[in-house]
Amino acid sequence: MEEVEAEEQQGFSHQQRLKAAVHYTVGCLCNEVASDKEIQFSKQTVAAISELTFRQCEMFAKDLEMFARHAKRNTISTDDVKLLARRSNSLLKYITEKNEEIAQLNLERKAKKKKQAEDANQSSREPAGGE
Amino acid sequence: MADRYRPDSEPTTRTLLQRVLDTADLRTPRRRRSRRTLAQRTFLESPASKRLSSQTKTTTRRRSHGARSVVRLAHVQANGDLEEQTPRTLLKNILLTAPESSIVMPDSVMKPVEVSKVVQSSRQESSQGSLELQLPELEPSLTLAPGLPAPGKRKQRLRLSVFQQEVNQGLTRSQEPPGNADVSSLTSSLSLTFATPLQPQSVKRPGLARRPLTRRAVDIGALLQGLRDNSLASAPPADIVLEDTQPFSQPLVGCSPSVHHSLPHPSHIGIEDTERAVSHRRQSIGPGQQSHKVTEAVGSQEVMEARKSKESSEDEDTSGRPAGPELASSTPDLLKTKQPHQFLEPPSLPPGVAVLSSEPLESMPVRLPPRPRTAGPRHHQDPYKAGLSYYAKLFSFYAKMPMEKKALEIVEKCLDKYFQHLCNDLEVFADHAGRKTVKVEDLELLMRRQGLVTDQISLHVLVERHLPLEYRQLLIPCAFTGNSVFPTQ
Repeated sequence: MEEVEAEEQQGFSHQQRLKAAVHYTVGCLCNEVASDKEIQFSKQTVAAISELTFRQCEMFAKDLEMFARHAKRNTISTDDVKLLARRSNSLLKYITEKNEEIAQLNLERKAKKKKQAEDANQSSREPAGGE
Repeated sequence: MADRYRPDSEPTTRTLLQRVLDTADLRTPRRRRSRRTLAQRTFLESPASKRLSSQTKTTTRRRSHGARSVVRLAHVQANGDLEEQTPRTLLKNILLTAPESSIVMPDSVMKPVEVSKVVQSSRQESSQGSLELQLPELEPSLTLAPGLPAPGKRKQRLRLSVFQQEVNQGLTRSQEPPGNADVSSLTSSLSLTFATPLQPQSVKRPGLARRPLTRRAVDIGALLQGLRDNSLASAPPADIVLEDTQPFSQPLVGCSPSVHHSLPHPSHIGIEDTERAVSHRRQSIGPGQQSHKVTEAVGSQEVMEARKSKESSEDEDTSGRPAGPELASSTPDLLKTKQPHQFLEPPSLPPGVAVLSSEPLESMPVRLPPRPRTAGPRHHQDPYKAGLSYYAKLFSFYAKMPMEKKALEIVEKCLDKYFQHLCNDLEVFADHAGRKTVKVEDLELLMRRQGLVTDQISLHVLVERHLPLEYRQLLIPCAFTGNSVFPTQ
């Protein structure tokens, strides 16, 4: 019983820390927008936005897990994320663009790794052949 | 009966009971009541002991038989005054009074009957009542006529014979009289039991004979004619597909002029496809599905044209609409070759098609051959929204207040968008799982997102709560006899 309570408290404190982090981030973003648009944000607004963000993140997480399970996978992939973001077109576009960028990066990295591997092989053969 | 001798080879229940009664000790609770019981017991015990000493020998058996009979009579006479009813005494009474009848020896039934009214009444009552009634009634009758068949039986026999005569008459009409003119009722009763199955019903009661089923042959010509009439009128398939609850909705009159100009081309296709659909209906569903889908698409084309002409002014929410059509992906390949421009419009056929799983594709052709109906008076309405009027009416019912028409229209719009959204989601989910057909898993995912299905409440629970038994049987696997589970997973 005590262990369960301790775990709950730990989880709760963890959650609180996360919420605090989200709140801080939201505050920073709001300040940026305020300086851009020259509109002031009240503290309650920032708090409301941060609470919303936190809950939405929870929902996202659950949905992503459901989507991954629906596709009979154990890991959440970019397809799941795209499915999640399909509602708003702009967000979907943004995500697809990012996805393509990342894919390109991955390809480049793989190409680099292959080259490095080949170089290493050649270098290892040369000294081996040389000796 | 008392002097009857039974050979060893036929131990009937009667003899067994007699043996039990004689060999078992008297264990009545009221032993020490009267001297008579004691006297009887001592009287009984002596022959019983004699019998016990020599059981298997026939000679001694005869003696014991005789002794038994004497004892029995004395016992009966003595017991007539006693009021105690033990199982022993009851059994004895039964043995004494019940007629000795065995299946093997039919002659025992034929016995001289002594007329005694008391026995007769008891017999009749016993024939009507239950066995339990029989036992107490036998008590008074014991003293009069022990062990003789009652005249009631004679009456029964008489009745039997009368019936037998009637049957014989019936039989003689159609068959040879199988020598049923015997006097003995038992033999006639035996023949009766053999003869009854042969009794022809048609002779006695012609009304009971089963008439052959007269089925009307399906008139295919009239069916196709009706199809042509319907497809020419307006867009009925759309209505039929959309509305599960109004399968025979009347074709629209208002839309017809706008639709006609484009019809000449699709109408031919429509007719051919519907004919094909009709012919394919009873064949395998796989190859037929394509034709069915084509018919749906044809219907959707007509519908969309109607929509185009009417709703060009309305705002169209493009953000929520999917890029591709909502019909199964195989259809666009077929239709793009024919009329590609029409598929730029977001498909309207929508909700009815995709919300239900692939089953409606099979059920659609069943609804396709509708009976030709005259188009009733209808105010201007979008054909695909006509299906939502049912839900709008439901809405107004649950609102418990009178609603404006405009409000109802807006409700219909909202419902339309909502259903389109749902169907879009379903399509995407199916695609996400790498499938082309929407399945129950997709619907479960949708309901989970809606919050209807939670970790506590599963889909099966909802099915049990809200769906009727027929659907529940189709959805929830249940085990039946013979190790069969339906529906199979």
